[in-house]
Amino acid sequence: MARPGFGRAERTADRVVVALDRDRPLVEAARRDPARFDALYRKYLPQVYAYALYELADHHAAEDATERTFLRALAALPRFREQARADEHPEASTFRVWLFRIARNVVANERRSRRRRPAGSLDAALGAGLELTDASDLEGDAVTRDEAAAALRAVRALPDDRRRAVLLRFVDEMSTAEIAGVLGRSEGAVRVLLHRALGVVARDLGRDRDAAPGRHP
Amino acid sequence: MTYLRPLVPGDASPDALVTDRYLDALLGAGDRRAEDRRAADAPTDADLDPAIRHASAVLRASLVRVHPSFRFEDRLAARLADLAAERQGRAAVGSGDVVPFRRGASTGGDAGAAARDPLLDAVFAGTLDPSDAEAVDRAWGVRVSGRPLLVGGAITSAALSIAGVAYVAWRASRPGRWPASTGAMARAARVAHARRAALAGGAGGPA
Repeated sequence: MARPGFGRAERTADRVVVALDRDRPLVEAARRDPARFDALYRKYLPQVYAYALYELADHHAAEDATERTFLRALAALPRFREQARADEHPEASTFRVWLFRIARNVVANERRSRRRRPAGSLDAALGAGLELTDASDLEGDAVTRDEAAAALRAVRALPDDRRRAVLLRFVDEMSTAEIAGVLGRSEGAVRVLLHRALGVVARDLGRDRDAAPGRHP
Repeated sequence: MTYLRPLVPGDASPDALVTDRYLDALLGAGDRRAEDRRAADAPTDADLDPAIRHASAVLRASLVRVHPSFRFEDRLAARLADLAAERQGRAAVGSGDVVPFRRGASTGGDAGAAARDPLLDAVFAGTLDPSDAEAVDRAWGVRVSGRPLLVGGAITSAALSIAGVAYVAWRASRPGRWPASTGAMARAARVAHARRAALAGGAGGPA
């Protein structure tokens, strides 16, 4: 399928494809001169790294996964095709969706390998996650450290796609449409994934609140 | 930017749509700076479960985005520059040959994740799409974990081959414990063997 021209719409079998990618100039520049991939790298490094860190709960593993993601992205950039659905948010970035699909695959492989050869205890993994949260940030929101710990624990225990959807929504602030693109699911399915995930987190938070020492004299 | 989408009947459960709309408003209410995340809340739909709202607030405060170390950022930037130079070199030559990625050349040959990524050469050569989950899973299983792979309906794996060799060796070491084969092929083999023995005996005997 030919790539659509800028601002032009092209009807395919199942959807209208239009050029909406806000990263288009950067992607085009990197295609012409691979050295200019650096701009895309600097822009998305924190997002990819944070996603990997929450998924893997290990600094070094997150760095490895981030590295693989960007190296694979640069290696495959000539074959990247910009496609965005017409009903997507105008600021949707299809490059970002493509990049996170690569990150998702890298992280999934890494998680599978780590299940075969567990590197650390669950407590260590939780500790790594908790280090991410700054106590001063939590105080302002009237969110206690215990609640943050319980929430992180609940997120880590979620099934794969629910956990990914929550991280992409809250850490990377992706729209439902973008998450759908990353996970290869419909937008409706992603909304249900998120709703159910939040239900589980809410239930676990409630359970922890009830079990807190002050609640049972 | 905050934008509200109308509820679309039949798209998902009404509760999921209410939650999604709230998240759109909540996460769009401030940027990633901590003070904005603390200060901002979003208008709440009357149908939204208060427990879901609270869980969303806790996750919003807890799941902060973190930046990697600058040392890591610079090291990876150097590796990307290496790969970019590799790509440019190949494009200039115009060769279609697959050239393995030159690992860590400008960074002192440090064996990092790039050097350890067994799929990077395939991505570089265009034989593997890194955004295709199934293709990556298959390639990862074959090259890294040695996991059995389904090819044309037949299960192939190194483990099966080793088991087969062990079984044949074990059977060969116990020839007396198995009944003589009575199949047509076995009979033909025995007849041929007896005939060769007879001919050899005749040729080597006294004239």
